[in-house]
Amino acid sequence: MISTNIDQTLVTGHKSYGQITGELLANTQGRPPLWWLVGVGLGGILLAIGGWSFYQTLSKGLGTWGLTNSVAWGWDIINFVWWIGIGHAGTAFTIFFLVFRQHWAGSINRSAEAMTVFAVMCAGLFPLIHMGRPWLAFFILPYPNTRLLWVNYNSPLFWDVLAISTYLIMSVTLWYLGMVPDLATIRDRTKNKIQRTIYGMFSLGWDGSLYTYNRYETLLKLLGGLAAPLVISVHTIVSLNLAVSVIPGWHATILPPYFFVGAIFSGFAMVLTLMILMTKAFSIKDYITEKHFDNIAHVLKYSSLLIGLAYATELFIAWYSGVEYEIYTFFRARASGSFSTAFWIMVIFNAIVPQVFWFKRARKSILSLFLVSIIINVGMWFERYVILVSSLAEDFLPSSWTGYQPTMVDIGIFVGTFGIFTLGMLFFVRFIPVIAINEVKPISRIGKEKTVKDSQDE
Amino acid sequence: MSKQHMIGVFDNEDDLLQAIRKLKEKRANIKDVFGPATNHDLIKAFTRESLLPFLAVLVAIGTIIGAFAFLYYTAVIDYPLRYGGKPLFSFPPMVVILFLLTILVTGGVSVMAFLGRVQLFPGKEPVMIDQRASDDRFYLVMDQNFNPTEVRQWILDAGALEVVDKEVDFSLKTIFL
Repeated sequence: MISTNIDQTLVTGHKSYGQITGELLANTQGRPPLWWLVGVGLGGILLAIGGWSFYQTLSKGLGTWGLTNSVAWGWDIINFVWWIGIGHAGTAFTIFFLVFRQHWAGSINRSAEAMTVFAVMCAGLFPLIHMGRPWLAFFILPYPNTRLLWVNYNSPLFWDVLAISTYLIMSVTLWYLGMVPDLATIRDRTKNKIQRTIYGMFSLGWDGSLYTYNRYETLLKLLGGLAAPLVISVHTIVSLNLAVSVIPGWHATILPPYFFVGAIFSGFAMVLTLMILMTKAFSIKDYITEKHFDNIAHVLKYSSLLIGLAYATELFIAWYSGVEYEIYTFFRARASGSFSTAFWIMVIFNAIVPQVFWFKRARKSILSLFLVSIIINVGMWFERYVILVSSLAEDFLPSSWTGYQPTMVDIGIFVGTFGIFTLGMLFFVRFIPVIAINEVKPISRIGKEKTVKDSQDE
Repeated sequence: MSKQHMIGVFDNEDDLLQAIRKLKEKRANIKDVFGPATNHDLIKAFTRESLLPFLAVLVAIGTIIGAFAFLYYTAVIDYPLRYGGKPLFSFPPMVVILFLLTILVTGGVSVMAFLGRVQLFPGKEPVMIDQRASDDRFYLVMDQNFNPTEVRQWILDAGALEVVDKEVDFSLKTIFL
């Protein structure tokens, strides 16, 4: 799909190790810039809106949401699937590109994983509050209890609990272990005593011994190998929540691969959005180059084709099956009925717009990259809306058909998750090097004739 | 316990690799190497492969057996409950659960085993040769050798910036004590 010449320079500017350390630690040093403080304030406001909605939900119950007897899964599950989809790119970046020896991904890993961690946290919130009484969430785990019951292992909802908690734990572990050497670098360079103690605690006494490095590399490869199937399994299991039911539009074997491709697609789009913002905010242009954006644009272009193929296949199979309910859902409710606006937004935003990346000019222009990455994420949200709501609102019995309108509380919780995500990313870029320094150092030497000597030698 | 060590200072992996190969060939005692980055050649020349993957396989097999026994016991023996007329025990859903649990437990145990083996924990005092070991310098720390002058010459020949003698404390210390 993408060929990277192994001898190509991946970090431009002919840098020495000392220079790399200095440049990549810049974001953690000095006073916080104004945009950062403004961002934290804005994130705080979003979080407060989320907190208010959360309080409404808990104190009054799920009646504050727009759910009805027919549409029992609304914005909560749409947003859950949307965030989980975004949360996929981090591990995909780390693992798949590690397996395929795509060294260029080395400088994006750290931020992509941070994005994964915060996105999965936002996602996990939705099923939790959808329970209505989140303090009883432990009921879903199999443990010896006074009710003498165990959980239903045949239910995809139980698989989902396991899949998401496993994925969250593994992503946090990979992310944290990956940054231990960099935290040690900060610990060794800082003059501030409090900072040194805190970073010292988190860096676990890392000293860069080659014996440790040997086991560390083995461990990371092992965890990578273990987490690789997780990338596929998580979204597959999310899709099984729908596919195992008998609702028209959900009961299809195409759903697992379709959801997986959609997840990779929206995750990469979000990575692109964040990378563009980061290259604007920090001077890391030498590490995240046009080549990186170009590669991501290629991935988006091809996954967009796959998404388009999935849409077409769904429509074809609905017609070919001859089942009137399927035909109604796809050709009436979705393509030409009550949900046609959302349906055509989904098709145009996901399957057609990203095709501009066939043109080199679109891949070179930061503006077009940024706009398309936003459009894809909007389109992917509408995709989940179409799948969930159209199937539930108009299913077998016309007498139980309803419309669906979200309430302010629904919207507020969604806004609140943006607050969590924004604050998480802002604290991440402030306290942790956004590019994995210990990973970039070896790849900065790829394509160079000989080692760069430090100019300020003693 | 501080001890006097001979330390070769390098500024890149290539020269360090030369030095390690030479010293290994001459059977000199290398205590450890400290540096900000590494690569596969360096590790291969310096030490043997980690045994962590074998542990992981054993843990994974154990988890599969243990989890299967637990699922079978709870679903079939302890409280047999039929959902929707389906069989009490069916294998396909078990595959999903066993797969996820195996990944979770194996990953967790591997991380714990790693942290225990290399003795990393919050509050550990790192072995500090120099602040630049996490920035842009590699330190080749030599143990007692019977021919220190020759060893010094080999290190310098490989391209070391300098060879210094310094007291280094390799004992395990925490900031709490």
